[in-house]
Parts: sequence; C-alpha cells; structure tokens
Amino acid sequence: MWKFIVRRTATALLVLVGVSILTYALMFFTPGDPATTILRKQMGGRTPSSMAVQQFRVQHGLNDPIPIQYANWVWDILHGNLRQSYYENTPVSAMIMNRVWPTLELAVAAMAVSLAISLPAGVFSAVHKGKMPDYLSQFAALLGVSMPNFWLGYLLIIVFSLELGVLPVSGVGSFERLILPAVTLGTGMAAIVTRLVRSSMLEVLDDEYIRTARAKGLRERIVVYKHALRNALIPVVTIVGLQFGYLLNGAVVVEIVFQRPGLGSLLINAIFARDYPVVQGLVLLIAAIFVLTNFAVDIVYRYIDPRISFEGASA
Amino acid sequence: MTNKNITRRSAVQIIGAGSLIGLAGCSSSSDSPNQSDPYGSSTSTTGGGDGATNGSKSATVALATDLTAGTWGVYGGVMPYYTNILEPLIWVSKDMKLEPWLATEWKATGETTWEFTLREDVTFHNGKPLTAEAVVFSFHQLLDEWSWAPGWLHVEKDGVKALDKTTVEFTTTDPFPTFPGTIAHNMVAIQHPDRDRKAGEVIGTGPFQVETVKKEQFVQTTAFEDYWNDPPKLSGLKFRVITDANTRALSLSAHETDVAYQPPRNKINSIRKASKTNVETQGSPSAGYLGINLYKSPTDDVKLRKALNYAVNQNAIVESILSGVGKPARGSIAPSIYWSAHDQLPEYGQNKSKAKSLVKSSNYDGEALKLLVSTDMTDGNLLAQAVAQQMEAVGVSIDIQVLEDAAFNDAERNGQGHLALSEKGTNSGAADYVIYESFHSEGDMNERLYGDEGTGLYNLGSKVDSLLKTGFQTGSKEKKKEVYREVQRMIAEKAVIVPLYYSEYVVAAFRDVNNLDLRPIPEMVRWDSLTHTN
Repeated sequence: MWKFIVRRTATALLVLVGVSILTYALMFFTPGDPATTILRKQMGGRTPSSMAVQQFRVQHGLNDPIPIQYANWVWDILHGNLRQSYYENTPVSAMIMNRVWPTLELAVAAMAVSLAISLPAGVFSAVHKGKMPDYLSQFAALLGVSMPNFWLGYLLIIVFSLELGVLPVSGVGSFERLILPAVTLGTGMAAIVTRLVRSSMLEVLDDEYIRTARAKGLRERIVVYKHALRNALIPVVTIVGLQFGYLLNGAVVVEIVFQRPGLGSLLINAIFARDYPVVQGLVLLIAAIFVLTNFAVDIVYRYIDPRISFEGASA
Repeated sequence: MTNKNITRRSAVQIIGAGSLIGLAGCSSSSDSPNQSDPYGSSTSTTGGGDGATNGSKSATVALATDLTAGTWGVYGGVMPYYTNILEPLIWVSKDMKLEPWLATEWKATGETTWEFTLREDVTFHNGKPLTAEAVVFSFHQLLDEWSWAPGWLHVEKDGVKALDKTTVEFTTTDPFPTFPGTIAHNMVAIQHPDRDRKAGEVIGTGPFQVETVKKEQFVQTTAFEDYWNDPPKLSGLKFRVITDANTRALSLSAHETDVAYQPPRNKINSIRKASKTNVETQGSPSAGYLGINLYKSPTDDVKLRKALNYAVNQNAIVESILSGVGKPARGSIAPSIYWSAHDQLPEYGQNKSKAKSLVKSSNYDGEALKLLVSTDMTDGNLLAQAVAQQMEAVGVSIDIQVLEDAAFNDAERNGQGHLALSEKGTNSGAADYVIYESFHSEGDMNERLYGDEGTGLYNLGSKVDSLLKTGFQTGSKEKKKEVYREVQRMIAEKAVIVPLYYSEYVVAAFRDVNNLDLRPIPEMVRWDSLTHTN
C-alpha cells in the first residue's frame, strides 16, 4: 500500500510538471499578446499605446526568455504563490477559491442526478434485454447523449421557469437554482453511464457464478443486486471518476447558460483574455484533480473487488 | 457475511450518504441573503423592495457585463458603468453633446490648461459635500492605478490642481482640445477620499448608492435621497450579470428581471410582439465595416475595392442579419458624431453589373480574398457570410477566417487579411481617436506596417495624416468638421472600406417599466427618471 502511494505520488508530480510545461509552451505559441489584450479589455476596447504595452510587459516579466519565465513561475508555485491575475489584479488563489464551491456543488448535484437515473435504468435494461423496457431505456440514453447541453438547458428553462413558473431561470445561492443546471448536466452524463452499466451488467450476468447462484435457487433480485451489480460496477467506477473530473471543469456551457460562477467559465475567459497566471493556475489545479480522481478510483476498486491488489496498480 | 464485507459495504454507503449530506449542505450554506426569495427579483434588502421611499418600487436590470470583473479596485471593485453610482464631471447627452454634470462649466485658459468649475450643491453618499479636493483625489487615484491613464487623458498627476473649493485646473502634457470630451466618460468618475478601498467601499455622488455587491452575480443599489438633481423615482436598482443573451431574454420573459440589455437579435421581434414586454432601440456612435488592405495585392487596386463596394447590399444585411437593428452605412463614422460626413458621402448601392465590369478591368486574378472576423463580434460570422455571398455573386471569391479576438487583432494589424470585419466607435464624448487610430499612418491600425509613404494598412498617406492632425489639434468645431469630413470623402473615394451599418443597441423591458433614458454610449444610461408601476 505504501509503495503504491509513493509510486503514485511520483508519477502525479511528473504529470503536473509535464502539463505545466505544455500549457506554458502552448500559450506562448498562440497568437495574441497578453499585454495588448488585457490593456484593451481594461480600456473598454480602445487600443493601448506602445508605451503602456511595454510597461505592462516589464511589470509582468513578459520580456524574459520563456524558460526563465517558466522557472520563475515554478519558483513562485513552490512558495505557494499562484500569482495575481493580469486582468483582475487579485490573487489567482482567491479567484479559484471563490469558484470552487459553486463548481463542486454543481458537480456533486449533477453526479447524484446522473447516478439516480443511470444505475436503475442500466440494470433494468440489462435484466430485460431485448424487450420493450430495454429498447426504451436505450432510446432514452441515445437521446440524452445526442442532446446538446445548452439546448436542453434552454428547454428546461422554458418549461419550468416560463411555462410552469416553478423554478428560477438562472443564478446561484439557493437549492432551487441548482436543480435545472444539475439536471441539464446530469442527464447528459446519465446517458453515457446507463449504456455502460447495461453492457457491464450483461457481461456479468453471463458469468458462471451467476448461473450457480440461480441454480442454488436464489431469488432473481438477490442474484442481480447482490451478486451481479457489485462486479458490474467496477468499469462504471472508472468512468464515473473521470466524468467527475470533467464535471469540475467541463461544465462551461451549463455555467454560461445558467449564469453560475465556476472554474470552467473562469478558464475559458482567462484563455480568451490571455490572462496567463489564471490559465496556468487553473490548468495545474485541473490536472491535480484528475490525478487525484484516478487515485481515488483505484482505492474504490480495491473496496469493490478484493481481488484487485495495490501492487499491480499503476498510474 | 464477514466483517470485512460489512466494512466495505458501509464504506460505500458512507460515501454515498456523505455526498448527499454534502449536497444539502452546499445548497444551504452558499445561500445569498436573498434566499427567501427564490426568484431573486426586485427585492432590495433594505425596504423589502416595495416602498423603501415614498411608495416607489425597485427594478432589476440584466446586463451582459459583469460589473464586478476587471481591474476596478480603484472604484471599490465595482465597474463605474451603467449603475449611476459614480459620476464624472461631464455626461454625454442623447445627441452626443457634452452635458455639464458635476462640473457646471469648463474653459481653456491656455494652450494646455483647463479650468473646471464644480457644481456647488452636490453631496456624496456619505453626506459630505463635493469639493475640488475630492476631484483631485479621484484623478490622482486613477492616474496611479492604470499605467495607460496618463497617456489616454494627456495629464500627469502634477497636472491636476485645486485652485479653490470649487475650481479645478488641469494642465495637459500637450495641446489637447478634446480633453473635456475625453473625460466625459464614467471611467473618470469622482469619489470621496474617505472611501475604504480595501473594504470595497464605493462613495459616489450618483442617484443610486451601493447596498450589497455579490461577486459575479449582482450589484444591489438603493436610491440616494440627497441626490443633487431630481431624486430617483425608484427605491433601488439591482444590476444582475447574465452573460448569455438567450438567458437574459428568458429571464425577462419569466419576469425575473424588469430590464434586459441586448437580447439576441433573432428574439427581438418576439419580445416586441409579446403582450408583457417591449423593446427600445438606441443608435450608438459606432459603425460596422470591412477595412480593405490598401497595400496587399490584389486589394491594392482601387478598381477592385470599388467593385467590392458595388457588390454589397447594406439594406439587405441590416434587415436580415441585424433583424433591422442598425442603419445602412455610407461611411465609418456614425451620424451621431457631429463631424460625420454621412450626408455628403456617395451611396454606392448594390450594382452588380458595374461591380462585375470593375472586377474584370482590375488586376484581380481569381485568388480568394481573406476576410478576417473575430469570434467576439456579435453575429460576425453571419455578417461575414452574407458579405462573402454578395461578393462571390460578382466574381470575387472570399475565404472567411474566424479568429478568436486576441488572434484577430494581431492578424488584422499584421495585414494578414485582405478584408477585416469590425465594429468601431467611441465610448466617451470625444470621438477623434476613432478616425485617427484607423486612418492615420501612426494610428493603432497602421503603425505596425507603416514605414514610409506607400506602406501600411488603411492609411492613405501624408495628405490624410496632416488633415487628421489638424482636426485633432484644432479647438474650433467648424474646422474639425471641415477637415474630418474631407478625410471621410477621401476614404470613400479611394474605397478604403466597405461600410455596412451604423450600430444600434436594443434594451428589452417589461411594459410596466417606463421612461428608459438610454444614451448613445450604452454605459452612460440614466436611471433617475425610470418608473415601475406594478
């Protein structure tokens, strides 16, 4: 177990270094100068003078060679300093902290919605394979996968806010305001997970030990839910873990449609504004989230299936 | 059933239950003060919305702009636009004229000196009177805050002095006749020196004062009873940011907001037709046009540039793509700017046969012209496609390149395109920079490529340069009008641009909201007279 943790930590660090170098390089090869872009944004679309641009570049060390800039940034990170946003002039760490909560709230809620739909639907579909319920659930899943998030978001707003008047259109700060975004995000994910639960369940239901269980005369419900489901969940956990990572930073569209502050929209805006410190800080955080999620998935595996040992697991 | 099993199962159960509890915790712990009001509509936290003062009501305004984003620490972290919390010395009227505001008059007392007389009966939100000291303090703050501010205002810190309690003297770094127009902008707002910047305090002189600020969500204001002008009719205004245009329109239809800025163009007609909502349009001092690269083959041929002008049908573009919001343009300067030459410029009008014959007689050899467009431009892609279609109909092929904004700005200035689609205008009372930056050799658009006569991007050369310089430096309105109009005529004659439309913007509102006082510069709207009956 300890060996496993040490090995995973080492690879995680390598991943983070690799990701940060890659992001740094990508940003500098992208056209569009941060000094001009940020100043133009501050000046309400007017163009800054070359003197102001030069001043900005000096102030933020943008004239140094790229490796030096990177090294300085790493030095700051190691000292726990994520730097200041060019555009907001506030610490990047504070900007991230402000948005972590609403993002986490949405991710957990969407995950709950998605599992509440996909687990029963997937199992039901597998148990009634080739019959009407199976076709219905597969059709619904196909619909869910194909439906763009933003479109579903608007549709839900029109139905629940305009026609029925029961839920608010947008914003954050109360449980009611969480429902529509969570459903929008959760149903898309549910579609993916439903199909996975179904196929994984079908595979398990064909196994010999299930036949043995049935031959012992166990009730079908016990066979399905006690014996089959747990094994069927192993691949599902992987996907759910990865999806959770995406939820934490891939909810941009939903954040924009429902006007929720979040890490996804923060990153998108920072990229367009060429706000390097924010982009760097966020990418580092996102990479860390993915590494940690994978780590957590491995630990959960171990709990679901005792046959999986920590010795064989790799990053 | 072993113990191990129980632990494993309970572990999974605990995780599941924990996430649900966490979720419930999330939704309650992050509740805003307005949680009791799930619709977050027109309730101010002071007077319970209805009737904080004389039985008047409050209203909620949905903006596309986040007032809490950006480098606004100097104003307590709240953008000074839209809200009427902070006020500049000079406002801009409905017809783009300078309107005496916190200053009642101003005059040039020398080549580089200006004297501003302050209004005497003005009170700050903290009850203290407006003095010349507060004006000096405010200018010093922003000159310190933004490295580009001295260059933009042509004033250094030591150039701002209080002569007495109600007189402020500005000394500009060079002769700068457009100084008053340049500071007629709410970015140059006056605040009280006692305001606690760190605590995010905003102390202005406007009809509304800050109540609560919720980052990335809203700014709640209440009426300021001691306002120097007529007190506001409403008890408060809440400014919500909703960046997505469709969601803004939907929040209005659901009556979560009373006023919504810039709904999507394709929804305007349905909002207008709906029984409960209405739209108002307002011309703004900007124009959408295609800049044509004068120094890149084949658009260096004036015949081809004229052909492109004859190919385009502005009326059709305004009616279809802009849903009728905007006016067909003849030049790059909107008629609301007093020195616009709109009424003197030829109206090309679509003339396909003339365009085709001009293309034939030009040096165009069939290569695709690159048309650059930015992702930030509303409906930019659709506009580009419409224009391209019209140009292809006369035998010129177009290759549209959609770039995100920062890349677009670079590509345009580096002359990477033959045509670049953009909307340009002024956001203050002075508009000189709009024509200077685009058409002077040393202006922002051309400086990168300009080396000597016969190089650049949209600059016609030394004659235009000297006219623009004259216009920029003259204090005489008539002279300015004369030389700037001459420049606009030359731009039309040499077909430096393909004009498309003069901009208008749209604000949608509930029918019970009356007396919207929109201004050409959207950020300089006035809310004092707004009423709300239901």
